[in-house]
Amino acid sequence: MKDFAVVGKSLPRVDAPAKVRGEALYTDDLLLPHMVYGKIKRSPHAHAVIKKIRYDKALELPGVLAVITGDDAPQAYGIVPQAPTEYALAVGKVRYAGEGVAAVAAVDEETAEEALERIEVEYEVLPAVFDPVEALERQDVVIHAKAKNNMMYEGKQEFGDVDKAMAEADFVLERSFKTSYVNHAFLEPHSALAHFEANGFLTVYSSTQIPHYLHRTLSLVLDLPMNKIRVSVPMVGGGFGGKGEVASSELCAALLAQRTGHPVKVTYERSEVFAQHKGRHPCVMTMKIGVSQDGTIQAIDFDNILDGGAYGGWGIVVLFYTAAMIHLPYQVPNARFRGRRVYTNKPTTGAMRGLGGVQPRFAMESMLEDIAKELGMSPYDLRLKNAVESGYTTKSNVYVPHSEFKKCLQTAVERSGYREKQGKLPLGKGIGLAGGYYISGTAYTLYMSYKPHSSALIRVDTEGGIILYTGATDIGQGSNTVLPMIAAEELGVRADDIHIVSGDTQLTPFDLGSFASRVTYGAGQAVRMAAQGINKQLYEVAAVELGVRADQLICREGKIYSQYEPGPVLDFMAAVAKYIDAKGPLSAMGHYSPPRKGMKGVQGANIGQSPTFGFSAQVTEVDVDLETGKVKVLKVTEAGDCGQPINPMSVEGQVEGSIVMGMGQALFEEIKVSPDGRLLNASLHDYKIPTAVDIPEIDSTIVDSYDPTAPFGAKESGEGPIQPVIPAIANAICDAIGVRFLELPITPEKILQALKEKKER
Amino acid sequence: MKKLITLNINGQDFDLAVSPRDLLVDVIRKKVGLTGTKKGCGQGDCGACTVLMDGHPVLSCITLAVASQGKKIQTIEGLSEGEKLHPIQESFVEQGAVQCGYCTPGMILSAKALLDRNPDPSEEEIKQGIAGNLCRCTGYKKIVKAISAAAEKLGGKEEERVR
Amino acid sequence: MFLPEFEYFAPETLEEALGLLERYGEKAKILAGGTDLLVMMKDKLLKPEVLIDISKLIELQGIQYVPEQGLTLGAATKIDEVQHSLSIQKNWRALAQAAGELGSAQVRSMATLGGNSCHASPAAETPPALVALGAKVSLACPGGEREILLENFILGNRKTALQGGEILTRFFLPEPSPRSASVYLYHALRGAMEIDMLNVAVYLALAPDLRSCQEVRIALGAVSPVPLRAEKSEVILTGSKMENSVIEAAGRLASAQASPISDLRATAQHRREVVEVLVRRALTQAYEVARAGKEVKG
Repeated sequence: MKDFAVVGKSLPRVDAPAKVRGEALYTDDLLLPHMVYGKIKRSPHAHAVIKKIRYDKALELPGVLAVITGDDAPQAYGIVPQAPTEYALAVGKVRYAGEGVAAVAAVDEETAEEALERIEVEYEVLPAVFDPVEALERQDVVIHAKAKNNMMYEGKQEFGDVDKAMAEADFVLERSFKTSYVNHAFLEPHSALAHFEANGFLTVYSSTQIPHYLHRTLSLVLDLPMNKIRVSVPMVGGGFGGKGEVASSELCAALLAQRTGHPVKVTYERSEVFAQHKGRHPCVMTMKIGVSQDGTIQAIDFDNILDGGAYGGWGIVVLFYTAAMIHLPYQVPNARFRGRRVYTNKPTTGAMRGLGGVQPRFAMESMLEDIAKELGMSPYDLRLKNAVESGYTTKSNVYVPHSEFKKCLQTAVERSGYREKQGKLPLGKGIGLAGGYYISGTAYTLYMSYKPHSSALIRVDTEGGIILYTGATDIGQGSNTVLPMIAAEELGVRADDIHIVSGDTQLTPFDLGSFASRVTYGAGQAVRMAAQGINKQLYEVAAVELGVRADQLICREGKIYSQYEPGPVLDFMAAVAKYIDAKGPLSAMGHYSPPRKGMKGVQGANIGQSPTFGFSAQVTEVDVDLETGKVKVLKVTEAGDCGQPINPMSVEGQVEGSIVMGMGQALFEEIKVSPDGRLLNASLHDYKIPTAVDIPEIDSTIVDSYDPTAPFGAKESGEGPIQPVIPAIANAICDAIGVRFLELPITPEKILQALKEKKER
Repeated sequence: MKKLITLNINGQDFDLAVSPRDLLVDVIRKKVGLTGTKKGCGQGDCGACTVLMDGHPVLSCITLAVASQGKKIQTIEGLSEGEKLHPIQESFVEQGAVQCGYCTPGMILSAKALLDRNPDPSEEEIKQGIAGNLCRCTGYKKIVKAISAAAEKLGGKEEERVR
Repeated sequence: MFLPEFEYFAPETLEEALGLLERYGEKAKILAGGTDLLVMMKDKLLKPEVLIDISKLIELQGIQYVPEQGLTLGAATKIDEVQHSLSIQKNWRALAQAAGELGSAQVRSMATLGGNSCHASPAAETPPALVALGAKVSLACPGGEREILLENFILGNRKTALQGGEILTRFFLPEPSPRSASVYLYHALRGAMEIDMLNVAVYLALAPDLRSCQEVRIALGAVSPVPLRAEKSEVILTGSKMENSVIEAAGRLASAQASPISDLRATAQHRREVVEVLVRRALTQAYEVARAGKEVKG
């Protein structure tokens, strides 16, 4: 382990004191003079032509300032800008129940809500479809004119010779899996506050993960130049991908502010969070894996139908991520993928923690378990045999600079006693193992560009101290704590000597946003480079002062001195004062661009490329009530390779949160849809995320790891640990009762049904 | 018809004109201006709006402001003494029990109600005490640890309150 | 989500409350804890013009034990008071268990015992426990008061025997037999904050031999519009030795008698399967507890 002064310390979050005092300001907490409130009228129909919208009666209500409809902003947009499909409010027709058709601004929320009831919308209801497999067949349902058979996109990839490898394999297993329709269920509903200054400059405060993409979209939809718009992100109450796309709250707030001349705030109700959705794609997957007798994976053939809901969103990206996910964390010499993302008349799916990985991981890790049993091998040995190591390149040309996946497997297995328990526990008790990995950032932007993905500015002076400016956005994951730690380590000062300004398109330098587990790695590199820039300038002046060559100087705990010999010491801030006296203001910028890799001529092969990868293994123990079908997850033993943890306590928090979120998806969570397309449980009452009493004992270990390509060796930890959760639970249930579940969530009802079928066999 | 009511919040009386329909959460957030009390679901399901009323945790998003007269209401802003954090707040910071922070105020107040009633709770009792406060970030483990650590810090010194 | 407009009264005496109820009739709703009513009003499922807040009525407060007779609970008693009452935990344990499973700590400190029965949700927690314990309710009207069994009070999904102008004021629980025990069990997806897929409450009193059943009441929740007495199970148990075969038969009969529906939370089939298990487990536990206490003593 390297010798660090700041990195590797479990420092409390910088914003925690304000948060525990209730003083942290989230978007809905903000007030501006003359601010009014916006609300959105939503469609009760899943698929309907909007014949007419009458809103005179709404405008007549005292206190109502404006009403807008889709026709007021007919410019389509999308997070993937090449394929825009969405609008601020529905234009021409609605494609899911809950889609916005009009928005109101009024002096208070009560009036705005009342005004919605006075808006009359005439619909011509169209036939609708809610199942992706059915949608491919339903000629009578045309959700988007451009999408034939409701297929938004079809992607195919083949590496090696899958047919030959399957034919030569000693054992081939094929299974079909289905995953459920799940929501992020972050605690803070979307909120946006938009404000036009008299000179036409627009500021939008929003609970977003992607200030930059919101900035671009506001420019597109409102037809304003980007340099007349500022997006600023207050505290964010969780995102998990759900705030990784522009929400209509943001666009409606801006449009209504433009129309009324007042600042307008739009905050969603919980039911609207479910309508906005962008949660995990339900997948209908068929996977075929061929292995040789010794357990070596020879080939994977993967067919995936993704339920996209009504619009494009992150769809194409998610589709190809599911393709990429079969190439790691095991060596796969031959692989084929066919994926279809399909439109249905439901709220749109999109990015959710570990996007594209969780569904195929459920399939693949479940199958590896069964294959091992078939071969008479320990599932652990099979995984270990195929696990990738540092320096591996996948068949899809993804280079893995660093991996401690084997160490993860070994640690989880040893700490849990997996080998002693697996297959030997009494009926109803079970233990299961699964592995997983995730990207640490992406290789490409969503639009064609060569600019750095992250930049950072450090400004040092004798008045404000050390100020770090970064576009990276803290959505609760803790980047405002971790990035100053990286700067502090490089500068040789204490973490709390650094003030951070972040997540603001006007005040901070460019950053793509908080998604794809890219912030610590990518923004971390930019911050480190900026800090190195400060040191370089500062040490030249300090060198004169100390009479030591600049390249021999280091700084620790705010003191600059020679790293080779004892001698004089100069205080960091004294050096800063000298520098400014001699040379003027002191600042430096840093930036980071990932290697641009891919594979020419292969559809979607840029997706899944990442500068490096995090790995995780989990062993889960369950207790299944054989009479009621209730599953209790007793213990999860996790071992993760996140490189060098910058802040171990924050890493643990990510791991523990991931495990509990994954457990919810495995056992409880599922949005249910009525036959006419309404969401039946769009509330935190009926959409059941785990409570404190549901959690298992968690034993997590950060394995000894250091990625030399990474800032102080650090890789992702926010999305990798959710990957093994579901299959580890499914494998444990299988160990407990001898039933392989192919559909999520695994409810008591499904367990009893399966036990009954098993008995009948 | 608005009524003039007086609410005692964090030991201070606020004279407020409210409609019967006005919910306590909105009055606290908009009229009194204490935005530490959060709105996460509006239906009493998430616990983000939890405040203490005469020491008991209540959901301010399904409580009428008019019905809250004559009670001692405590919000998250009333917990620390000046700069000094309450031991529960302190433990939440130290133990890494705060991530996005949106559930935190309600979570801390539920913890306070629990520790006031039961100064030395078991892990299971802590989990039951905060079961009505949903958190999606932490997986609850560090929250349970923080409450346990706070109980230790408080050492049963806090006045025990049993109904 | 905001509440519709309404007029609000917070009477200080029962008489005043009954007067208001008489004056406003159908337009008025009684507001107790509000955890069900206000949520339904926010969802615009109910739009009463008047709310009569009964939280200030002294007559509806408090838990009072009268030795040899039983327990009186004011209808406005908070669920958490019921949950934490030592007397209820000791002698009417199924009710304390049911109260402890209702919602969350916050909901329990707001919601009232009376509200939980008056709301008459088929999946409610406390009514099956109260029915199994033989609870009676007092209903007051301007002319006087009447007392009926709780099982005759809850008539259907959100339907009660309350007549225009009546207010539920008290619950009365008879003193349990010295050789008895009561148990409440539930089946739900999560461990808290749940609407149960089903729940079961059992009151079992043993004969002096401590082996056979002298009296039993079994109430099933969420498998019928009202808390359902598993009468056929009760008949075969009464007078029989508490042997596994009898307990198992009682479970099967309860399952056959249940008439559950399929909804968001579970199918009818699943409810029918699990109700059998829970009845069996509740009887077994109650039998063990009822015997155990005696053996220790004797």
